[in-house]
Amino acid sequence: MKRLLLLLTSALQAHDMWIEPQTFTPNTGDIVGVKLRVGQNLMGDPLPRSASLFKNFIFEDATGRKDLVGREGSNPAGFLRVNAPGLLVIGYNSNPSPVELESEKFNLYLKEEGLDAILAQRANKPAAKVRELFSRCAKSLVYNGPAAAIQNDRALGFPLELIAERNPYAQSAATGIPFRLTYNNQPLAGTLVIAMNRLNPMEKVHARTGKDGRVRLHLSPGGMWLVKAVHMTPAPAGANADYMSYWASLTFEMRQAK
Amino acid sequence: MIRLLLLAALVAQAHEIGTSRVSIVLHAGRTYDVEIATDAAALAEKLNITNTAKLAAFIEAQSSPFRQRIQLAFDGAAMQPAISCQVLPDAAIIRLSGTIPQGARNLTWNFGWTFASYALSVRGDESKDSTTQWLEGSQTSPPFDIGSVTPQFNRWRTAWRYITLGFTHIMPNGLDHMLFVLGIYLLSSRARTVLMQVSAFTLAHSITLGLSMYGLVSVSPKVVEPLIAISIAYVAIENIFLSELKSWRVALVFAFGLLHGLGFAGALKELDLPRSEFLTALLTFNIGVEAGQLAVIAAAFLLVGWHYSNRAWYRGRVVVPASAMIAVTAVYWTVERIF
Repeated sequence: MKRLLLLLTSALQAHDMWIEPQTFTPNTGDIVGVKLRVGQNLMGDPLPRSASLFKNFIFEDATGRKDLVGREGSNPAGFLRVNAPGLLVIGYNSNPSPVELESEKFNLYLKEEGLDAILAQRANKPAAKVRELFSRCAKSLVYNGPAAAIQNDRALGFPLELIAERNPYAQSAATGIPFRLTYNNQPLAGTLVIAMNRLNPMEKVHARTGKDGRVRLHLSPGGMWLVKAVHMTPAPAGANADYMSYWASLTFEMRQAK
Repeated sequence: MIRLLLLAALVAQAHEIGTSRVSIVLHAGRTYDVEIATDAAALAEKLNITNTAKLAAFIEAQSSPFRQRIQLAFDGAAMQPAISCQVLPDAAIIRLSGTIPQGARNLTWNFGWTFASYALSVRGDESKDSTTQWLEGSQTSPPFDIGSVTPQFNRWRTAWRYITLGFTHIMPNGLDHMLFVLGIYLLSSRARTVLMQVSAFTLAHSITLGLSMYGLVSVSPKVVEPLIAISIAYVAIENIFLSELKSWRVALVFAFGLLHGLGFAGALKELDLPRSEFLTALLTFNIGVEAGQLAVIAAAFLLVGWHYSNRAWYRGRVVVPASAMIAVTAVYWTVERIF
């Protein structure tokens, strides 16, 4: 009930989007359904496949990059076949979608997402509706086989991208995982990175990226983690919007310590 | 459906559309039904329920928190609908129902249990076409004009419709009523005789039609229909033995009128009267019935009465054989309607 009440009082208008594979630890030859979810505090609604919504819905393993297959409108939105042992990276990059928010709600959401620079710019702006174009840059890591520290996440080239610099499925992850945040493939400094766990989504782990775009998070073992970051820029002229935003997310499971 | 898909294709660029959908049906502006289809597991998660099997009971509970994030309002006044829930393998179907406040002009809707965009469709029950709009979770819909889906009850149109229905209930659809009226006419060609009987009949059937429609009198058609047939037979047989108006004949025609009124009520009830125009419909239906009867008499007068009613052979060659045929038909109906 506590969780419900928190959900009810939340003023958040913009929602996270993340990838939820049916299993994080498949075996070679498995066909894995991959769900897309949109929501907050890891409570989310399924997003059925809509081809017009995304630029890329792909997965990459040691054998290369492939598209996730699926029927229009289906949930799970995509399926993949596990071909090789090791770390498998799933990525979903959407086209920009417009959203209109009341100025007050928009400012509130900037505060919640730690977008202080934009908030400061808006301090003296007249209150009006704000039009934003948002893009999803979601990734997920699944693992097939015995965990090895040498296998790492890889960059998929999304506009905003979170990259785990240590394999979260490896034993060494218990000492903390460094993440790198890139914007147009360049390190992005001073951005809030928030992590939450399926088992207790209200308790957030957060830190801001350093000059090299890095942040180190200590994530407890057990359950699915969502690591996320939002970056916003003023929209270019002719975009028919005030701001462009990029929503990076990365999901994976942390194994219970043996 | 095709229309919905086309819409989906048009806005897909813009919205993250989830699996939820909401449809509202307005029944002739009197009651509403809302059907929400949404992902069962996701909803259970938001309500903090571990097992979707418990979802239906949780949602149906009177004080369920589920109610806190849905709102259906008419002219801004929030409803307290009855809620039922059915959990399917991959979706929860939640139904809300209730009465639309009288005179309500618009409705607004808000569904706060989804984070994705969803389609809201609104339609009237007489129409297959629905109006679809896309909403974000927690977004209140723009006011929807109820009048655009509810047929407008124009009083003149209603009046004309029920006059027509009343008339056709006699001519050409009510052969039994036509024969009864003919039986009345055949007794005597004197205008006063016809007028007295028709007035008694009209007064009587208006009384029982009204009483029956307001639920004050209720007699089963199983009783009324055979009695109507007997009344026709009686009037026709009496025509053979009687040639002038007796006071008890007027009283009997009045009594039979009471029976026919109950019969008219049975027919009118099947038409599902608009509640808002009940009295208009009742009065105009009765006027239509009256016009039908007068049309039968006028036709009989023009065909035979006008030229031949003062001829010596009129009674022997017209009244008696016609009354006998009516009597035979009515006796046959009586037997048929009893068994």
